[in-house]
Amino acid sequence: MQYWINHNGVQSGPFELDALKEMGLTSAAYVWHEGLDDWKKITQLPELQGVYEMVQEPEIPTPAQPTAAREQVVTGQPYQQQPRQPLATEGQTMPQHDGMPSAEQEPCPPTNLVWAIISTILCCLPTGIVAIIYALKVTNKYREGDIDGAKRASEVGAWWCIATIIMGILYVPIGVLVSSMKTLLM
Amino acid sequence: MRRSLVIVLAVAVLMLLGIIYYALDPSQSGVFPRCTFLSFTGYKCPGCGSQRAIHALLHGDVAAAFKFNALLLISIPWIGLCLFAEGVRLRYPRFYDRVNAPLLIWLYLAMVLVWWLLRNIFNW
Repeated sequence: MQYWINHNGVQSGPFELDALKEMGLTSAAYVWHEGLDDWKKITQLPELQGVYEMVQEPEIPTPAQPTAAREQVVTGQPYQQQPRQPLATEGQTMPQHDGMPSAEQEPCPPTNLVWAIISTILCCLPTGIVAIIYALKVTNKYREGDIDGAKRASEVGAWWCIATIIMGILYVPIGVLVSSMKTLLM
Repeated sequence: MRRSLVIVLAVAVLMLLGIIYYALDPSQSGVFPRCTFLSFTGYKCPGCGSQRAIHALLHGDVAAAFKFNALLLISIPWIGLCLFAEGVRLRYPRFYDRVNAPLLIWLYLAMVLVWWLLRNIFNW
């Protein structure tokens, strides 16, 4: 198997597994090989255990966006030469980054949008709208790269959904009772 | 295990509610709860008419459902898509991101607010 490497923002490859061992890679590096749908952190690939050194990561360098790779692979290129884009072979395309968060990033925390919509149209309380606004906050913060902020907004939004749905459910027996009394009295 | 129990319970509750809303007509029967917002303010909330719309939908009358609550009808495919995305959030994070794009949520929010306003002006 051949591996492409993105280390400190510099892409290189392809390399055989043995070559990787001599590159002095750290745990901050990213890897791609044919069959992966996106770049993976080197620590996520079990077969690469031991070819890198664990380091503290003050910040995660996101691999440069691979541009549409239509060129042919040039093999035997020593990696010290100018960094190459990983290239696709036989029509296989590299994962594209179209402004979306990449897979090596944490997945978006739940936006709770379904529950916000359901509580808005079924629970008869305008608080469901607050939950929709929080869903928007989650997805916006996530796109800005503020994962912690997104998680917090996700939690607050979830509580708005729960509160709306509980109030809606609590209201049912009262509402049923009031409606039934009215019908009986009339 | 816990997850499947929740799904079974949810389906059971939905079926029970389905039977109730199929059998009884909220615009005729007096047992259905009235909207809190409408009771307190006299104005319709975005969800008013949902019970009648669900009754109409269960009887296959889409036109009547649209008349009772157009937002509910529009929301159904949206709810289905979001629910599916929520279920596969960790497996397909990109799909989740697309479904939860800010533009789409803005669109839905705007729809709710415009619907809320217009239905109180034109008494929809």
